[in-house]
Amino acid sequence: MKLIIVFSVPLCLCGSILAGDPVRITTDQSFKQHLQWSPDGKRLLMTRIHQGKMALWTMNADGSDLKRLLPGHDQPHFDGHWSPDGSRVVYVHDKFEGTDGKLSIRTCAADGSDEKVLVPHKAFEESPRWSPDGKLVLWVSTRDGNPELYTVTADGKDLKRLTTEVAADLHPAWSPDGRKIAFSSGRTGRQKIFVMTADGTGAKKLTDGEYLDSWPAWSPDGKRIAFVSNRSGNYDVWLVNADGSGLVNLTDHPAQDTAPAWSPDGKKLAFVSTRDGGSDVYVLDVK
Amino acid sequence: MLLVGRQTQRTCQTLSRRSFLQVGASSVLGLSLADLLRAGQPSGRNPGSAKSVILLWLWGGPSQLDTFDPKPNAPLEYRGPFGTVPTRIPGVRFTELFPKLAGASDKLALIRTLVTPSNDHGIAGTVGLTGSPAGGTGLDGKPLPGAPRPATGAVVAKGLASGGVHPRRADHPDLPPFLVVGGKLHQGHKAIVGEGGGPLGAMYDPFRLEYDPVHGTKVPALQLPPELTPERLTDRQTLMHALARAEQRLADAQRANALDDYRARAFAMLTSPSAREMFDLSREPAKVTDEYGRTRFGQSCLLARRLVEAGVPYVQVNWSDHVEAEEDAGDGGWDHHYRNFQIMQDRHAPWLDQAMTALVTDLDRRGLLASTLVLAVGEFGREPKVNDKAGREHWPHCYCALLAGGGVKGGRVIGTSDARAAKPADTPLTPGDLCATVHHAVGLTSEHLTGMGLTPAGRVIEELF
Repeated sequence: MKLIIVFSVPLCLCGSILAGDPVRITTDQSFKQHLQWSPDGKRLLMTRIHQGKMALWTMNADGSDLKRLLPGHDQPHFDGHWSPDGSRVVYVHDKFEGTDGKLSIRTCAADGSDEKVLVPHKAFEESPRWSPDGKLVLWVSTRDGNPELYTVTADGKDLKRLTTEVAADLHPAWSPDGRKIAFSSGRTGRQKIFVMTADGTGAKKLTDGEYLDSWPAWSPDGKRIAFVSNRSGNYDVWLVNADGSGLVNLTDHPAQDTAPAWSPDGKKLAFVSTRDGGSDVYVLDVK
Repeated sequence: MLLVGRQTQRTCQTLSRRSFLQVGASSVLGLSLADLLRAGQPSGRNPGSAKSVILLWLWGGPSQLDTFDPKPNAPLEYRGPFGTVPTRIPGVRFTELFPKLAGASDKLALIRTLVTPSNDHGIAGTVGLTGSPAGGTGLDGKPLPGAPRPATGAVVAKGLASGGVHPRRADHPDLPPFLVVGGKLHQGHKAIVGEGGGPLGAMYDPFRLEYDPVHGTKVPALQLPPELTPERLTDRQTLMHALARAEQRLADAQRANALDDYRARAFAMLTSPSAREMFDLSREPAKVTDEYGRTRFGQSCLLARRLVEAGVPYVQVNWSDHVEAEEDAGDGGWDHHYRNFQIMQDRHAPWLDQAMTALVTDLDRRGLLASTLVLAVGEFGREPKVNDKAGREHWPHCYCALLAGGGVKGGRVIGTSDARAAKPADTPLTPGDLCATVHHAVGLTSEHLTGMGLTPAGRVIEELF
């Protein structure tokens, strides 16, 4: 009887959140990650590895019109993020030098024009995220030795370090009101989801357990956080309330489900899954 | 789908097979078949349990700490961000990125104390593939003294071709005995020494297949004439001219290279319907295909299983052509000087975990694991201390190999590394020892090696059996 209760709770929660099966919107099977919905909800931005190139691609929200954002680039570039007004994209640029690479944070217009270096290469520079008011860019850098979170203004000035941990702090995501930041960190031993105020103070662990939790994505209403975890034995997209309660496995599939991205209206969640063999984008209705 | 050269096999079915052969193919294509076809009676080799070997070559050098020798009690700047999971081996843990392999560890033997003499991909690659640095060429472009030894696969190919301890299976008796699934290994733009037959001769160079998720299996040695595009195949006159030229090239090649009937039969076999079926992964049930993962490496492992199932003695699956992580359609090598942890978490670890687990499980399910040695290893490990780019540098002083099947007893660990996986605390072993162990597993003795003009590259790791 006790076992029935334990297992029935998450199943019930999941059933109340999902509305229907995920809809597959790409079929090309090439590796994808770093999904993000455009602010108007019409397009998706992603990292895609295709024909030997890791690059930013965009497509309509139904999977049509898949195309390179920066078709002229032959160096790897990835992990893009749309500005709140949808006019620009911030991303990571990787310049190969021998067997090494030089990462920098760059921006471009939403049509791929007007490229600018926002944060020149100094170390490992990754996961840039525009603040909801468009004034700051949050990203991960190892410029002080290990991965920490930093911000600069949208014109590349006033660099601030937000975290000072020996452990790696990764995968930052602004709350919709810009007051908080969710991120993953190994500061308590295992990589978990944390939430802190936007100035870097008051970090609190949101998830527990002996698992790898990463890539948090805040729902547009700020009430829930989707993230990737291997707590089911493989990567699934999980959902937790912003206070840490209500943990539920949203995708619950033996394939690898990663890269959760909320639609601007919060009614859909896109993610990348290998459930049909390759790496493709799926969209799930979420209540 | 099967791709022969750059064109799909479906497009080519009405064409003469011989017409598709290019001159360049003749130097690599199944020449050891000649020996196989000439093979006499059993010569009294000591039988090993393994009739086939699958080498999963993890090019670039995976981190020992982030895979199979985690050090959860080391300082954070050494142990990295990943936790650990228990395995089926008491007291042994893998990083949490490998839950499937941890679950299959009762079938695996793990070596944690490999040491190699160079931290240069070029030289360490040669050592890893041949057991010796001789002839290896590093970044400075200067070959090390000595003639390169043959690849382990070439030795196994010649050894099995010369004796009858493991008679070739009857269903595909003419298959080349040494196949590489994947492109040529490179450091930068320079090909690595040691993938071929070396002193055994070009006839023991591997026959190469490639798999990519878009086109399926490719047979790069069987290139169509470049002008023969699918569109032009409908142009009969163009087609006939192209075929005539190809026929002439083949005739020239036969004269120039003294190709004999055996080799011609090898050509014929490799373009035969039965071989095409074997290379065609779409014939696998979708469930099995998915188990391996529809990544290039996953499907290459599946192809390796099909080849072994058909009786191929040695299959080498190259994880990538290049060491760099972003090369080769993004599923490049394990040389993670930067972004190590992100790449491990997002791509390399799940792909290896899925594919190798599926391979071992699938072989076991089909009753082939006992006779197939699976070995997964790179050319070196990675520096225990995490660098300032969230990566790890080269580290030749301590790294891991995973083995399964072929007489190797599962559920055991050979060697213990020190507290930071920086050096062996006991039982230091070398790539030469691994080569000698592979030879031993298939029943080759030092006597057989002497007969090939070779000396053992190291000691047999008896603890594995």
